[in-house]
Parts: sequence; C-alpha cells; structure tokens
Amino acid sequence: MAAAPPVLRVRNLTVEFATDAGIVRAVDDVSFDVAGDETVALVGESGCGKTVTGLSLLRLVPEPPGRYAGGSIELAGRDLLALPGEALPAIRGRDVAMIFQEPMTALNPVFTIGTQMADVLRQHRGLSRSKARAEAAAMLAAVNIPDPDRRLDDYPHQLSGGMRQRVMIAMALSCRPRLLVADEPTTALDVTTQAQVLAEFRRLQQEFRTAVILVTHDLGVVAETCTRAIVMYCGSIVESGPTAELFRHPRHPYTRGLLESVPRVRAERLPELPVIPGRVPDPGRLPAGCRFADRCSRVQSRCRDARPPLQPVGAGVPVSVACFNPW
Amino acid sequence: MNATALPLPAPRRDSLGARAVRQFRRDRTGMVALAVVLGYLAAAAGVWFGWWATDWGALTGTKWEPASAAHWFGTNIIGQDIFARAIYSTSVAFEVGLVVALAATALGAALGAAAGYFAGSWLDEVLLWFMGVLEAIPFYLFVAAVAFALQDSPWAMQVGMIATFWIGTARLVRGEVMKLRGIEYVEAARAIGLPSPVIIARHVLPNTTHILLVQASIAFVGAIKTEVILSFLGIGIRDGVSWGLMIEESTKEVLAGFYNNFLAASLLMFGLVMAFNTFADALQDALDPRKVG
Amino acid sequence: MVTLPPGAGTGPLLDVRGLRTYFPVRGGLLHRVVAQVRAVDDVSFTLDQGTTLGLVGESGCGKSTLGRTVLRLRPATAGQILFDGTDLARLSPRELEPWRRRMQLVFQDPYASLSPRRTVGQTLREPLDHHGIGTPTSRRDRVAELLDVVGLSPAVLDRYPHEFSGGQRQRVGIARALAVDPDLIVADEPVSALDVSVQSQVLNLIRRLQVERGIAFLFISHDLAVVQHVSDQVGVMYLGRLVELGPARRVYSTPRHPYTQALLAAVPRVEGSPADRVLLQGEVPSPLRPPPGCAFHARCPRVMEVCRHEAPVLKDVDGPGAGHRVACHLY
Repeated sequence: MAAAPPVLRVRNLTVEFATDAGIVRAVDDVSFDVAGDETVALVGESGCGKTVTGLSLLRLVPEPPGRYAGGSIELAGRDLLALPGEALPAIRGRDVAMIFQEPMTALNPVFTIGTQMADVLRQHRGLSRSKARAEAAAMLAAVNIPDPDRRLDDYPHQLSGGMRQRVMIAMALSCRPRLLVADEPTTALDVTTQAQVLAEFRRLQQEFRTAVILVTHDLGVVAETCTRAIVMYCGSIVESGPTAELFRHPRHPYTRGLLESVPRVRAERLPELPVIPGRVPDPGRLPAGCRFADRCSRVQSRCRDARPPLQPVGAGVPVSVACFNPW
Repeated sequence: MNATALPLPAPRRDSLGARAVRQFRRDRTGMVALAVVLGYLAAAAGVWFGWWATDWGALTGTKWEPASAAHWFGTNIIGQDIFARAIYSTSVAFEVGLVVALAATALGAALGAAAGYFAGSWLDEVLLWFMGVLEAIPFYLFVAAVAFALQDSPWAMQVGMIATFWIGTARLVRGEVMKLRGIEYVEAARAIGLPSPVIIARHVLPNTTHILLVQASIAFVGAIKTEVILSFLGIGIRDGVSWGLMIEESTKEVLAGFYNNFLAASLLMFGLVMAFNTFADALQDALDPRKVG
Repeated sequence: MVTLPPGAGTGPLLDVRGLRTYFPVRGGLLHRVVAQVRAVDDVSFTLDQGTTLGLVGESGCGKSTLGRTVLRLRPATAGQILFDGTDLARLSPRELEPWRRRMQLVFQDPYASLSPRRTVGQTLREPLDHHGIGTPTSRRDRVAELLDVVGLSPAVLDRYPHEFSGGQRQRVGIARALAVDPDLIVADEPVSALDVSVQSQVLNLIRRLQVERGIAFLFISHDLAVVQHVSDQVGVMYLGRLVELGPARRVYSTPRHPYTQALLAAVPRVEGSPADRVLLQGEVPSPLRPPPGCAFHARCPRVMEVCRHEAPVLKDVDGPGAGHRVACHLY
C-alpha cells in the first residue's frame, strides 16, 4: 500500500466562498495523500465539496468569490497555494491536468481538436508544430480513437460525446502529468458509452502510471475504477480507505446509507428502497456537532455537541472514519 | 410515513420583488441615479400640476440676458426665460419617453411573445416579415411619412417611434419565449390543459420581465434622444417647447456667442439620460433571476 | 363536480398501437422538409389500470418523445393512442381538454419544472382552478392535502421554488400531477437529477402512489436499476423502436435482446467487477440516418447476416402466455 511516495499531499485545505448569506465553507479542513500509482475517488452528493476540492488541486477555484482560507496542497513537493499566480499556467496541464464532465464546453468549438491538442504539447513540452501533431495523433490512437490522423482535423461538434471525452483524456495525458483530476468524466455519457470510457480509463492509468483523482457521485463507478475512496459530506471527509474494504464494511453511517440507497438491479424488487432520511443541511447553517447527526440512525448525544475527528480505525485496517459511533 | 414532513430551509417569506428591492438598495450608484431621476420626475410633475414653469412661453425679459436671480439661466433670443423653458421641456421629455417606452414595450412583448410561442407557424412568419419590412425603411423618412399620413397630428412623432421601437423588443422577447416554451413548467401548464393565451400571460411573459425592463429603459432614453433630433429637424414636437426645440433655437445663438440655451437643454438631457441608464443597469442587476432566484 | 369524459370501462387503460412520431428536418431557402427524424417508430404496448410500464433506453432513443406523444403534447404522425377506449390521437385540442384531467406528467429537471415566479400554492392550485375541481374554499384544503401526500409541510404554500432543494421540488412536481387525481402519470426521468439518497425517497413515494391510489405510470428512465423498483412491465427502446417488452421479472432475470443484455451489463456495480463485461462497440447512431435492417446490428455482438437487411419485429418468446416479446432475429 505505502510503496509509492505520495505525489500529492493535501493538508488542512479550507476553501470559503463569499455569498449573499455570508461566508460559506465549501471545503473544511480536508487532508489526504495520493500516491503515484493510485486512482482515488472523491465521492459524495452535490454540495459535499468534492468538486471544489478537485478544482483546488489546480488552484482553479474562482477568486473571488472563492478564497483559500488555509492549508496546503503539495504537488511533487511544491505548495500550490504558496505559488505566485504567474507560476500556475506552467503547472496546469503539465504537472496536473483536469477532465470535466461536459467535454463539449471544455473544448473550443472554433478550433480543430488537432490544433487544440498541439497547442498544449507545444506550450508544455516545447515540441515543434509537426512533432506536436504527430504526438497528438499518437495520443488519439492511445485512447482507441480510430483513424486518428483524420480525426485531428475534426471540430469538436463532429465527434460524439464518448469520442469527445476520449479526446479530453488524450489531451490531459499528452503532457504526462503527475496527477489527473477527472470531475464526473462519464456522468454525461450513456451507460454503454460510459462502460467504454471507464475501461479506457483503467487501461490508461496502468499504462501512463498517472495518479488519478476521480470526482464522482456514482459509487458504481468508484467500485470499478478506484483503488481508494474518500467519502465527503458537507465539506469534510467522513471516511476514507481502500475501495474494497470501504464497500465491504462501511463504517460511517453516511457511507453505509449511501451504499444502501444506490439503485441497483436486484434479484427481487424490494417493497421499499432503503433511504437516508432528511436532506443535506444548508451550507450556511450547519449543525454544531457532527454534520450528519440529524440524519443518522446511530446518533448519540455527544454527536450533537462535538464534531468527530477523522481517525484511523486501527487494528491494521487502513481506514479512517470521522464518527463517534461507527459500524 | 408520509406524515414526516421534511425539514425546510429557514423561513424567508419575502417575495421576489422584495428581494429585488433589497438587492437594489445595496447598490450605491444605482440609488444615486434613482435619486437624480426622481429629481427630474419631480420637476416634470410640478409642470403637470401647474406649480411652476407656467410662463415658459411669456416674454419675461429682453434678448440674451445673462443668468440672474430673476432669470436663473438667462433669457433666449426673444427674451423668454430659459430656466422655465428647460423645466417645461423636462416634462415634455418624460411624456415622450414614458408614452413611447410603455407602448413600444407592450407592443413588442405581445407580438414577440406571440411570434415566439408559435414559432414556425404562419403567424410567426408574418410577424417576422412585418418586422423586416419596417426595419428596412429609413427611420427619419418613416417618421416624416407618418407625420404626413397623420396630417401633422402632434402625436406623429410618438407614433413613428412606437411603430419602430417595438421591433427590437419583439425580437428579443421572441427568442426568450422560444427558449421558455420548451421549458418544463410551460409544458406542465399545457399538460394541465391551460389555453395558450393563459400560458403566455401567466407562465411565459412574467419570466421575460428582465428583458422588458431593460428594453423599456432603452426605449425611454432612446425616445428622449430621438425627440431632440426630430425636433431639431422640424418633425418632432409641434406645439410647446422641448430640449430639441431649444437646441434648434440655440443654433442661431451659438454663432453669436450666447451658449445659455444650448447648455441648459443639452446638459439637462445629458443628466437625465446618464442617470436613467445607470438606474436601469442597477435595476437589471437587482432583477436578474439568477441572482434573485 | 365536473363530469369526466366517458370511457369504455373495459380493456386496458392505455392501448398504444403502431405509434409513430416523426420530426421533419427542414433545410434550404424554402424551409422544405429534407428528412424525417423517426423519434418514435411503430411502437405498440398496453398499460392496465394501476400498473407501471418502465421505458428504458439511452439518450435519443425516443423514450421521452413517446411519453409526450402519449399525452398528446407532441402530435402523433401515425398510430392510435387508445385511452380508456378513446383514440386521443384523433381528438382536436378542444376535445382533448377534458382528458387532461386524467393524465399528467412529472419531469426530470426539478429546477425547470416549477415556474420561478409562482409560489408552491399557486402552482398546485392552478390545475384545480382550471378544471373546476371542488369549491374555492375546498381547494385550499386540497392543496394542503396534496403537500401532505408527497411529504411536505402545508406551511410551505407561500414559498417560492428557489427556497427548496431538488428533491423537495420534485415532490412539488409530483403533487401538481396528483392535483387532478389522474389515472395515468407519465414520469420522465423523475429521479435522474437527484442525489442517490434522495432518489430512493422519491422512488418510494412513487411506489406508494401506485399502491395507494391505483395510478398507472409510464416511467421513463435511462437507468435500469431505477426502473426495476417501480415497474410491472419493462420496455427497452433503441432508436425509436421497442426492442424488448415484457414483465419486469422476466426482462431482468432473462433478458433476451442483446441490447438489453448489454445495457444490464454496462451499469457500474457497487459489488461487481467489470472484468466479465461485454463492451458494446461504437455509439448510438444518429436517428437521422438509422442503419438499414436491425438498427442495432452495427453494435451487436451476435449480429447475423439477416440483421443487416431485415428489420426484426416484436414477437413472443417463451410462448404467448408469458407476454415477453423481443424484436431480434435470434428468436
């Protein structure tokens, strides 16, 4: 497990947003490491802070209204939050790359994909025009796009959704980044296309040995692609550990509830689906103690008074959980 | 199990309008602009009630008197009080601006909504064709033609402006309505069985108010500026006085080195247009449904 | 009370026969029709009172268009929509109006399905007022009751949609559909915009409405797992056509069409491993240029020569009694 040294060390990351309702903490004191050969999931429901955490890793949170209120993000030994703004463009794309949910809006519609891919390669790897084009074609071939030389001259709208997302992956990997952040990369795709793109993703991760952070709400995708998972709720990590262990034995009541309520094809349909009662609290008015307390079936009185810290469960199990009364 | 009502967000019982007002009041520039516009409106209201500027036509002095306690802005070439004329013109500007803005926006909203909701139908085609034809006619020629057709009615200028100003609004509303008619709450209204006019009035047009307000304010400012040009050309205000007529008068005076008439009219117009534009910008921000909703 | 349109009373609530919805594609200077998109192409099914048909398929398969055509929110190009014995496809808009009381629609996007400038109370009252249901005073109670049914407090009457979460808005949307006490609700991806923990809450609500109120549902979703929980029958659509239709239990336990099998296998599973998955090649073709023969043949792992030329029709497998029908040359 601890073989490869961490590529990414996030410590006490706190991101705040100025809103009409006052200052809202989207990410609250989040710490985690990612090793060089890992695929780590940041998983949770909308508003849990997973996307803001993902954007922070490229320092892409818009400032203002956003603000990095504390902590550090060390990528290959350098603290991104301490760097001057001018240094960021050289890092984005080269050391850390990102893939977004909607490839159509992430690609510029007026340039061919060949031009866009070559631009990245020329800027970050200093390749000549013809070398960059050849490399772009090779990358398209690597993500299994048929007839890559011809595809280079296509405009984004001429490709299907699945193809566009493959192009995004090819573009992101073309500079051999140490870390790839993928924000819901398959959510906009149909299931059969999603299965193809995920298979591609797994293969490429092996091939390129890039550390991957997959931001997603889909636990099925996590189970099939990620070695480790970090479950977030209301801006904080509630549980983290190897995916297999986490899914086999979820310790935090939220993780457990989430897993149980995932719709799945069952042998027999149930009279009633398991639910997590209530709803996610407003970010402006979080409860004083554990933020899950109001929805929790195992709540105790101390859960309402203090916030449980994220602690290893011990006994040789590489899982951490933020709960006073875990399963 | 259905009895367990879900927890709700904190009670904030104010309407969308109240939120917009609160938003607007935070905008300092917008508030200053609103105060200036209200100042102008007060000046105009005084004229309508006959409180002041009643002697705008009277010869109360001699030719080209400088500013004095009796004549704050001096007198014009025939000895009329420029201040009284400028204030009276303010009321004329508001009359023209309000009439044109309200009528052109209402017309544009109604026809634009009809065209957009029934986009692709013969009604839409006819309306689009009609808009294209009207836009193809040079504006000043069009107003002159309207004036001729209306046999020099004092409303010829307003009719001419209304007949052209609605087109921009209609095009914008048409586009927005085409977007809205496919949105799910409009489809829900159709699924309920509501007739189209009710759907347009209740579910579609209220969601275009941000466009209508902006267009109305553009029409208001546009009408005031156009009045000046049309009056200057002699096809504008027929009876009475306006900023445009004052500037037209002043052409003879400026050559002689007397600027009072020209400055009074153009600066007052500039102040109103400027303040109104700023106010409209702030209003648009406050009413933006993405910020309110 | 308003008299409801008469129904034959016997037979299925909804009997759709050979329904086609084509969209013309116009081009050129004269806006001439240059092509037809066959969004719904020769679809037939029946739906009994109080039962649910789950319609599954990927984006562009025509499932949403089918749902809206059944409600006559889109014009049908051909075919019959027999609702309680009356062919809705042949009614004029005026004749259709009383039928709107008997069928309603629930939408996917809880943020677009409620008018942002109307309170929840106004939204729920509108169908009652329009159809003259109850007296003006009893309508107030009715609105409160509707909110209670969907699990919201009647105190929210004066609130605007932006004050609610996605799941709560979806409940309001369901309450609006229930207001007229319909026999049929077409639910178009009603939970796909919601978070998983909220999805199950809404699915349980829909299930309860089926049981307690005897409402028939046409439940449209891209997610087979979601459909299973609420459906008695399941239909799988591909490029405008039904490729498989049958009792939910049969379709899930023994899917016959290669597309249904692939669809079931493609869902990422929390407990499963992806290794045993058969990946489909390519993506859904454009409905503007559907391939000849079976529309699925270019992606089908079990394609045969006949599939390239001849479009298969729905036919019974496992005997006519099973009600399991598949459009595939394999059977």
